[in-house]
Amino acid sequence: MSAHNSMNTGKEISVTINGQEFKSTFGKTILEIAREHDIYVPTMCYLTKVQPIGSCRMCVVEVEGVEGMILSCQEKATDGAVITTDSDALFEERQSIMKLYNVNHPLECGVCDKSGECDLQNKTMEFNLEAQDFTARDQNRPVENWGHVSYDPALCIMCEKCVRVSTEITGDEALKIKFGGYGSTIVNTKKEKNYASLGEAAAVCPVGALVSTKFKYTANAWELTKIPSACPHCGGGCQMYYEVKQDRIYRVTNEFEFSTLCGAGRFGFDYANEGVTKDKEAFAKAVEAFNKADTVLLSNQTSNEEALILQKLKEKLGFKLVSPEARAYQKFMQAYGNITGKHLYGGTLKRISESKAVIIFGSRINDDAPAVKYHVNMASKWHQARVAYMHPIEDKEIQNIVTQFIKYEVGSEEGVAALLADTLLKETELPKAVRSFLDDLDIGYLSAETNVGEEELEALRKSLLKKSGFSLVVGSDLYAHPRAEQIAKLAALLEQYAGFNVVCVPPAGNAMGISLVCDLDDEAEGATVGYNMPADFTLSALGGGDLDMPAMNQQEGTLTTVDKRVVPMNAALPYGGYVLNDVANVLGMDAEYTIEYTKILPEEKGFEAIEFDALPDYFDSVGTEHRGYLLKARKVSVSRNFDEVEELEGYDGAVVYRCDPVEQFSAFTAKSSLLEDEAVLLGSQQFATATRLKDGDRITFAIDGVDFDRLFKIDTTMKGTIALNPTFDMGLSGALVSSYRFKRLDFERAGN
Amino acid sequence: MGLEQFKNRNVGTQNYKMLDLGQSPETGMGKFKQVLDRTFKGELLVGLWVTMREMINALFKGQMHTVKYPFEKLPISPRYRAIHDMLRLLESGHYRCIGCGLCEKICISNCITMDTRYDENQRKEVSEYTINFGRCIFCGYCAEVCPELAIVHGPRYETASEQRASFSLFEDMLTPIDKLNLQQEYDGFGAVSPNADENIKKTPLAY
Repeated sequence: MSAHNSMNTGKEISVTINGQEFKSTFGKTILEIAREHDIYVPTMCYLTKVQPIGSCRMCVVEVEGVEGMILSCQEKATDGAVITTDSDALFEERQSIMKLYNVNHPLECGVCDKSGECDLQNKTMEFNLEAQDFTARDQNRPVENWGHVSYDPALCIMCEKCVRVSTEITGDEALKIKFGGYGSTIVNTKKEKNYASLGEAAAVCPVGALVSTKFKYTANAWELTKIPSACPHCGGGCQMYYEVKQDRIYRVTNEFEFSTLCGAGRFGFDYANEGVTKDKEAFAKAVEAFNKADTVLLSNQTSNEEALILQKLKEKLGFKLVSPEARAYQKFMQAYGNITGKHLYGGTLKRISESKAVIIFGSRINDDAPAVKYHVNMASKWHQARVAYMHPIEDKEIQNIVTQFIKYEVGSEEGVAALLADTLLKETELPKAVRSFLDDLDIGYLSAETNVGEEELEALRKSLLKKSGFSLVVGSDLYAHPRAEQIAKLAALLEQYAGFNVVCVPPAGNAMGISLVCDLDDEAEGATVGYNMPADFTLSALGGGDLDMPAMNQQEGTLTTVDKRVVPMNAALPYGGYVLNDVANVLGMDAEYTIEYTKILPEEKGFEAIEFDALPDYFDSVGTEHRGYLLKARKVSVSRNFDEVEELEGYDGAVVYRCDPVEQFSAFTAKSSLLEDEAVLLGSQQFATATRLKDGDRITFAIDGVDFDRLFKIDTTMKGTIALNPTFDMGLSGALVSSYRFKRLDFERAGN
Repeated sequence: MGLEQFKNRNVGTQNYKMLDLGQSPETGMGKFKQVLDRTFKGELLVGLWVTMREMINALFKGQMHTVKYPFEKLPISPRYRAIHDMLRLLESGHYRCIGCGLCEKICISNCITMDTRYDENQRKEVSEYTINFGRCIFCGYCAEVCPELAIVHGPRYETASEQRASFSLFEDMLTPIDKLNLQQEYDGFGAVSPNADENIKKTPLAY
């Protein structure tokens, strides 16, 4: 059941609902038990994934021996309770509530976007409201445009779902209630910033008050076909529906009752490779290129099946398979497994949201993996979790949930990991080799080099005393670090010996799936073929390559998510060209469709032999996720030897950090017309002073052989001498993501 | 049944009158006499007079009985379901259609297609509206379901044209703005019942 109610004692109770006896566990609310057994209790404001709101009073039930009606969403069921969910009195009560909801509600269902899937409309019909007896003086309430979403206060029924989602789930905390009786409204307190995460607030709106601005009035709910899929942008693989009419995606929705979708998933959907036909000439050249290739490069925007096709081709043709980010992650996880003895990390997102303390290390989590950030936010809001954010750059966006920001020097991640392990494993029993390694650490030296004060670590340790249920989130700063393997082992110690719920957030895209399916090589050489990567011969889903490929929303396949789940994606749009499977078939493979590879994904990596069409994709009535299957952790050999902590490399002067804005992950999100982020170098005033740059200067610089031409802008909320350098606008790029995310900046001014 | 009975099985009691056609002359002289009789009897003038009288009545006394189709058309029943009309609001001249999409949804031959958008005045604007008259079966559901009486069946029953497309665009069906004063309220399928006012229960007003 939902995370926030998991503190039940587990005692078995039996309750009688409408004359039927049910067994359940103590701690669940009456509504939860009713839903568990498919008993219908009408609600207007109840949202399973947040704490009960209790503003609508529709869920009232009668309990024998209790006077009056009680709210089933808030009241926990007690043993032997006799509950009635439906009686004449309850019907009348609910009918009156609906009448009040309908006071002055504009009669514009004809044009309202919500019409057809509107809770208010449905319940008005359900409770048979034929006439309105109540009235109130109406007031002028103009429509507000907040960017990605628009708010119409006249339609708002003040259920508070959006406010709760914005606070408890997405954590942008933009929405607040302005109280004032009949004049109450929802206000956006952060209008100056266009939060794409408010798309989730719009999704939970039971009426048409909050809607996507670009979708508004373009289609009716009943005209759109829902195509279930998974979001391919970050590694989250969140559940989503493409809503399609006449071969066009109009919007993206989700099972908002139980799962959450970030702004990139919700608004970044129009990146399909359209108007492609079968180009026989290019196809023949592609086959030839594969035959001649010494190396095949693949990007993270590759499904498990396509990765497997390339792996099989590698075995057949003997080329090298290169995917830098996935390779770094693969090596990191191999080293991680050396400590834990399993090939996957043990953590899950759900356990993050149930944690009492979360440490985030080596990831600008809000930008890197919104889905993970949401779960950290849930822990913070539901369990007042301590959140320690360890990173060289402070992040204003998560300041509201971070209780301790620990800043460390760029490049010193290994030292930080060692200090962290040492601090958190002080009183833990460890194997001798590990204990002696930790005891031999020169804490003073590490502390000086990393710039992490011992008192900061001590404060962290103390804050965790007398608590249980900790999570560690590590991210992609660490994977491409020169000392990644050592860092992986140190992080693994926390899972293995301190019981931490560790989540190694995979880089954006399906990097985790690729790292599990493919046998990757380090360096590219010779003639190259690129699958969504620039190469001598490029197969591209963005268009403009040597042979067109379908984008992620035009093909079937599976993704591997941060939750270690293999989830199905379905094709939302038609595609007329060749796919990778066609190339593979000419090269000697034999499969009619790409999804025939789903059942032969490597079982030794935790995949299961299940046909694509047999993969489930739904949430049940209590919100349990039945999407695809969970990867099984396989045993790997253990070796607990540590290297000495190396002399730390210092990064002086101006440094840039490869980091895309929150709703951007790749060239595919960049292509999406609803996400209009500017690719600028974003730095603090301090950075500007250090580099003698002014707001609006244009500079050129090169990183890993890629030339950038960037506008520099000052972000007054930032601090320090590290600037954020986005790469989402740089097209399909391999070199960009191949190395450590921090880089020294040597720039030249471009002519202004 | 005998053959005779069978042939007369549905013949009722008839009162046939036999016309006295006389005898046709058989001799050459007889035929010549008949020609002379007919020529000088003056029947021609009677015929010419009748024609002249009717012509004068029609042209000068307003008693024309023919309809100059296709320039003139007879009025047709409001319940007749011909090519659709899109009506305008009489007060503002704005088209009535609110873009709710119900006609598109209810259409059983899937011939209505529409696209809408959010316009500058925060209204839902119909940006594209077509009816495929190759598919339309003139069932009248669209007019019945329309909450605004915006789409109705008009009197244009001539469904022949060089192209079917020339009927089907929104603008072609819409009442021309200069003929707004000639727009007829629709009484056919789906129109408001004559006693609608009596059936409405009014919402109380706070002021």
